[in-house]
Amino acid sequence: MVDETKLAEKQETVETLRKVDDDLRLPSVPERNFFPKEIDIAPARLQTPAIGQRATRPDGRLHGLGQTKYIDDMFFPGMLHAKIKRAGVAHAKIKSIDVSEAQKMPGVQATLIGSEIPVNSFGPSLQDQPLLADQVVRHAGDGIAAVAAVTEQQALDALEKIKVVYEELPPVFDPIEAMSEDAIKIHNNDSNIYASKTIIKGDIEQGFKDSDYIFERRFTTQMVEHVPMEPHASIAEWDANGRVTLHSSLGRITLGRADIARTLEMPINRIRIIATVVGGNFGGKNEITTEPIISLLSKKTGHPVKCVFTREDEFISSTTRHPFIMDYKTGVSKEGKILARKVRIVCDGGAYCSWTETTLGKASILSAGPYNVENLHVDAYAVYTTKTVTGAMRGFGAPQVCFAYESHMDDIAAELGIEPLEIRLMNAFNEGSSSPTGQVLESVVVSDSLIMATERFGWKEWQK
Amino acid sequence: MIHRGKGIGCMWYPIGFTAAANPSAATVKVNEDGTATLLTGTVETGQGSLTVLAQIAAEELGVSTDDIHVVSADTDATPMDTGAIASRTTYVTGNAIKLAAEHAKQILFEVAAPMLGVQPNQLEAIDRKIQVQYFPQRSLPIADVALQAQFVMGRPPIGSASYNPPTVGMDPETGQGKPFSTYVYATQCAEVEVDDETGEVDVLYMSAAHDCGTAINPMLVEGQIEGGISMGLGFALQEEMLFNDLGQQLNPNLTNYIMPTSLDMPEIDVDIVENFDPTGPFGAKGVGEPTAVPTAAAICNAIFDAVGVRITSLPATAEKVLMAIKDKRLSNQRALPAAE
Repeated sequence: MVDETKLAEKQETVETLRKVDDDLRLPSVPERNFFPKEIDIAPARLQTPAIGQRATRPDGRLHGLGQTKYIDDMFFPGMLHAKIKRAGVAHAKIKSIDVSEAQKMPGVQATLIGSEIPVNSFGPSLQDQPLLADQVVRHAGDGIAAVAAVTEQQALDALEKIKVVYEELPPVFDPIEAMSEDAIKIHNNDSNIYASKTIIKGDIEQGFKDSDYIFERRFTTQMVEHVPMEPHASIAEWDANGRVTLHSSLGRITLGRADIARTLEMPINRIRIIATVVGGNFGGKNEITTEPIISLLSKKTGHPVKCVFTREDEFISSTTRHPFIMDYKTGVSKEGKILARKVRIVCDGGAYCSWTETTLGKASILSAGPYNVENLHVDAYAVYTTKTVTGAMRGFGAPQVCFAYESHMDDIAAELGIEPLEIRLMNAFNEGSSSPTGQVLESVVVSDSLIMATERFGWKEWQK
Repeated sequence: MIHRGKGIGCMWYPIGFTAAANPSAATVKVNEDGTATLLTGTVETGQGSLTVLAQIAAEELGVSTDDIHVVSADTDATPMDTGAIASRTTYVTGNAIKLAAEHAKQILFEVAAPMLGVQPNQLEAIDRKIQVQYFPQRSLPIADVALQAQFVMGRPPIGSASYNPPTVGMDPETGQGKPFSTYVYATQCAEVEVDDETGEVDVLYMSAAHDCGTAINPMLVEGQIEGGISMGLGFALQEEMLFNDLGQQLNPNLTNYIMPTSLDMPEIDVDIVENFDPTGPFGAKGVGEPTAVPTAAAICNAIFDAVGVRITSLPATAEKVLMAIKDKRLSNQRALPAAE
């Protein structure tokens, strides 16, 4: 016989459970996004001629409405998350890397170490940087191994289980010390000096002889980060045709694709890079970082793999601005005309070359300032140290040398009792001036910019 | 006591790579209604480059900025580009786009010439029209010409081109050569307040006059300059990555690595120095990096003007400025004659 009471009770329970289930169920229709579908186009975008218009940006509307899809906003079915283990030691030989415990951790789908990467090196001029260090650690932010897991947290937890045995080597942090012959060689070269530039113009000795006054000063600058709002981020999806598609925050996709092809030993046409709207670059996203690593993790797992740097990754492993040590010696006439300048730049090149050669080149060419210096001698050196990688950053060495040559200029002006504006106008490049490299300069407006900025400032009327 | 001071920072900066090839390529496709699609391999990194590039294509085709849709940064779809680096996008990519648009325009001219009864070289593209030079009343809407080109003449108006700035390699011994095609120039002036009891520096005001050739979009140039000043300010006064004796970073986070916020920003007046570079697209050069170059120099010179101390090592933190002020006071002290 059916127990009516029990049946009723049972049904009630089912109803209750169903209600709970309904409450928990996610809405099948996504919430409506309230943004205007009919848009007013800013008049400046509709004007002809187009040049000189204060045209608004189409991406500005998307940013303002939160509609821009950065890498972190993108999800693909079955996507995994990758994290990278950092060395934590500045200089060491890697004796062994054991990822077996990490592989057993919950959610972990794959791991990767440097020796599994077909060509484990990259770099725009010297390919001296490993994607994941497999033999030697050269700075504390060097990546050692990568883990792909179902969630970011699982990947992070698994990193803790990676066992690395190091044989520590003496570090060298000071570039001047690293230049000396008996310093430990970070890349097994004859010297830690890995790039140098010289610019010679006129007769420096004669220039100093002709000078009424000689000024000397050493200037130094610090290491800084780009700090883009969006950290380095990318997603790799390896497909059944053996092609890999990368969504990436790279700022130069054509050359990035060639670099990735080189590291993966793949034809270039099997790699597709789609760069999203990048949330700030400033030079820091000019080269590949994790793209080959997550490509291989995607190949291993058959799933899309995403890697987004934490702010700490961004600081310790991505490129930074080169610290400079700059020695300036300038000979001037008593009227304040620069007659000779000698500059020595020592550029703290960090653990790997990256964009240092370009930085050194620009810094040495620009180091005399926007001034006519007939007798010039610039020597510039880039030196390996066991510190964070230094690379491209807004200005490629120019902010460093500008700080030096402009501070030096005011030192000279103060000593000679000349107005800072006057001494600059007296020495400034004109149309047709010859640059430190002997190039005839055109469309030169140094004096115009000096006059314009000081007039706007109210330089002459300004009082303390 | 609070001291006020003023300082100048003046600079020059090259556009593009140092004596190395750095080409860009572009494709411009004019649609049947006279709007166009621009394909470029450069990446929008937040600076507004795609808008500027659209303006360059629009100018060449005689249409408005909004008539150009930009497809960018997909290696499967867009042509090669050396990338958003070295302040080269407006100048190098811009020149490639101008040439590509010129090629597409040439097809439109060749199609329009018989319609207007003139030679192609007598035509110009202005205000969404293809018209006979000096005879604005003899014109056709660009849409009519584009439609005719594609569906009647079977000549879709598509143009592709590339550009590489001409440079001359540098002599390895003396560095002599022509490493860059062109340079920009700029000056920034700073007004600061320095507290001689704490060493704190407050930047009150900055004026900035930048040369970028033709300002294709003055609003975006101003944005670059203001952003550059904020970066320069951080470099001058606050930002520094610190390491311990083991080479580990001490402040890899935004709590201890101090960046300028809106509260640190001075009032800024921006001027664009009028200039025209015949080698740039419509006279344009570039503006990205130079905006961050002279700020630190201007601020440190203003500190010198305010309290008479020369900061020789960046950043000019309060500690460093105060130490320099104390050192200066010590060196200025004259020993009193010994008491008798």
